Amino acid sequence: MIAKSAKLGLYALPVVSFLAAAMCGSATAQNKGEEVPFWAVGRPAEGPGAKLAPVPSPPIATAADKLPTLSVPDGFKVEVFASGILDARGLREGDEGTIFVSTLFTGGGKIHAIRDGEVKEIATGLFLPNGIEFRDGALYVATPKEILRYDKIEASLDQPPEPVTVFDDLPGVIPHGWKFIMFGPDDKLYVPVGTPCNICQEDADYAKIFRINADGSGKEDVALGVRNTVGFDFHPVTGNLWFTDNQRDWLSEDMPLDELNRVTDPGKQHFGYPYCHSGIMTDPQFGWGKSCEDYVSPAATLGPHSAPLGMRFYTGDAFPEQYKNAIFIARHGPWNRSQKYADVSVAFLNDDGTVKKVEPFLTGFVADNNYLGRPADVMVMKDGSLLVSDDFNGAIYRVSYGG
Amino acid sequence: MLLRVVAAAATIAAAALLGAASAEPLDALIEQCAQCHGDGQRPAATPETPTLNGQPELYALYQLVYFRQGQRKQTAMNDLVRDLDDDTLRALARWVAELPDAPPDQGEPDPARYDRGAELARQHRCPVCHNPDFAGGEHIPRLAGQREAYLSKALKDYKAGHRIGIQAAMVELLTEIDDAGLDDLAHYLAHFRP
Repeated sequence: MIAKSAKLGLYALPVVSFLAAAMCGSATAQNKGEEVPFWAVGRPAEGPGAKLAPVPSPPIATAADKLPTLSVPDGFKVEVFASGILDARGLREGDEGTIFVSTLFTGGGKIHAIRDGEVKEIATGLFLPNGIEFRDGALYVATPKEILRYDKIEASLDQPPEPVTVFDDLPGVIPHGWKFIMFGPDDKLYVPVGTPCNICQEDADYAKIFRINADGSGKEDVALGVRNTVGFDFHPVTGNLWFTDNQRDWLSEDMPLDELNRVTDPGKQHFGYPYCHSGIMTDPQFGWGKSCEDYVSPAATLGPHSAPLGMRFYTGDAFPEQYKNAIFIARHGPWNRSQKYADVSVAFLNDDGTVKKVEPFLTGFVADNNYLGRPADVMVMKDGSLLVSDDFNGAIYRVSYGG
Repeated sequence: MLLRVVAAAATIAAAALLGAASAEPLDALIEQCAQCHGDGQRPAATPETPTLNGQPELYALYQLVYFRQGQRKQTAMNDLVRDLDDDTLRALARWVAELPDAPPDQGEPDPARYDRGAELARQHRCPVCHNPDFAGGEHIPRLAGQREAYLSKALKDYKAGHRIGIQAAMVELLTEIDDAGLDDLAHYLAHFRP
């Protein structure tokens, strides 16, 4: 097994936590040693809110027999697909059935590949390599700084090739800089750039989704006013891009509500950040003189500070008919809220493409207001089962139906 | 389908396999911990060794993992934990968390140094992560009442980049504080009174 790493300079830290990441990157630098870390800007000075901070994961993956007992609707079954993958985040399946797993904060910048019951490390020391995608035999890996491509990866899991840099016109800053990437039905790669702060003035280089050709050329904006999306997918019939979006922190315990959005006119639509939140509320600082009517409202809201991350349309044939083209959404759960919750929810759509209802699907991630696990990404396998990554425990679950 | 993680996939897994064969009884390990770090009643044996009272369980676990992986370098600690398995590290972290909260008293501070340290702590936003009472929490260490010589050494180690670990930010935070300032900061935190 050979570990590959890209050139990272100062970013090649052995382990990076959410806090480390949060604290060493900031949008507004005066004297770096005297800044409030970006996640804490706006935190209440007193009371229960003053104690809230990003929730750290343990530094060791949880053993398979110590994982939380999760619940699914009648007829479904959930089992442990893999354990011992510290900080398991993004999920993709290769043509030959390899499951690729990315990591983010505590995972040592690694990318893993699960093949024939073995977990292989195919890259290490990458800079917050949350975003992965598989296409034409190649694995794409997105960091806040660049997008890399590992060609013919499934044929060389034990000795991965040196990556090719596909694209590096990215800000490279840490706050909301880690990525989710996916190819659309137009064969273009969709790439988000989150806002480099909790909330700050609009800047053309941030808070949006753009797309590029597979070779990195032809960059064009797809959606504006997007604070921080870490999950999206394309409707299997209409081809519309749907994305989850994490709204601002510190407004209150119960507002704003995180969003599920639909892009119907690529490049022309603005989704509200930093002026309007959840389609219903102008921002107390940036929203004066603005109207929520001037921005695209979410297709559905997903709960206060719920941190919706990975989402996928259900395109398999193994689940009951009602799940066809429904959306599974990993709600990682809030840190910016006293009362915790987390699950994989499912959004059912109406025939006209609007959202009929959103309800919990995979539950059991919280007990006594403490996280037992936190879902980060979901993925429909070729056999129609649903994989769910849990970055708190370093585990992947598989949900199947019947049998 | 239940997948087995191959040991080579992670140094953690490799260490766990070794540890399973050679783990010492927990009580004997804890006795070794207490010999240098104190047992919660008496302070650490040498000034540069941290007292463990009041350290959060998750912080202790992170440090044990860093020592095991060699990311945090201290020969005695690296040697002690190198072959310990995950559950043993978890048990040791729990032992730390169950020690009495209050560290042994550090005596009276030098008022001028205390005030200079307090100003540096305010200026550099230490309470944002370590909390206004410097009790830490989760993966953030308690600083209040810690051994002064240890704090001073730890601050200098962070500044020099010897302790990246979980807080890469510490390097940046401390860059502009000179050694005398770091000593004052350590003095203030060691003698901290709410």
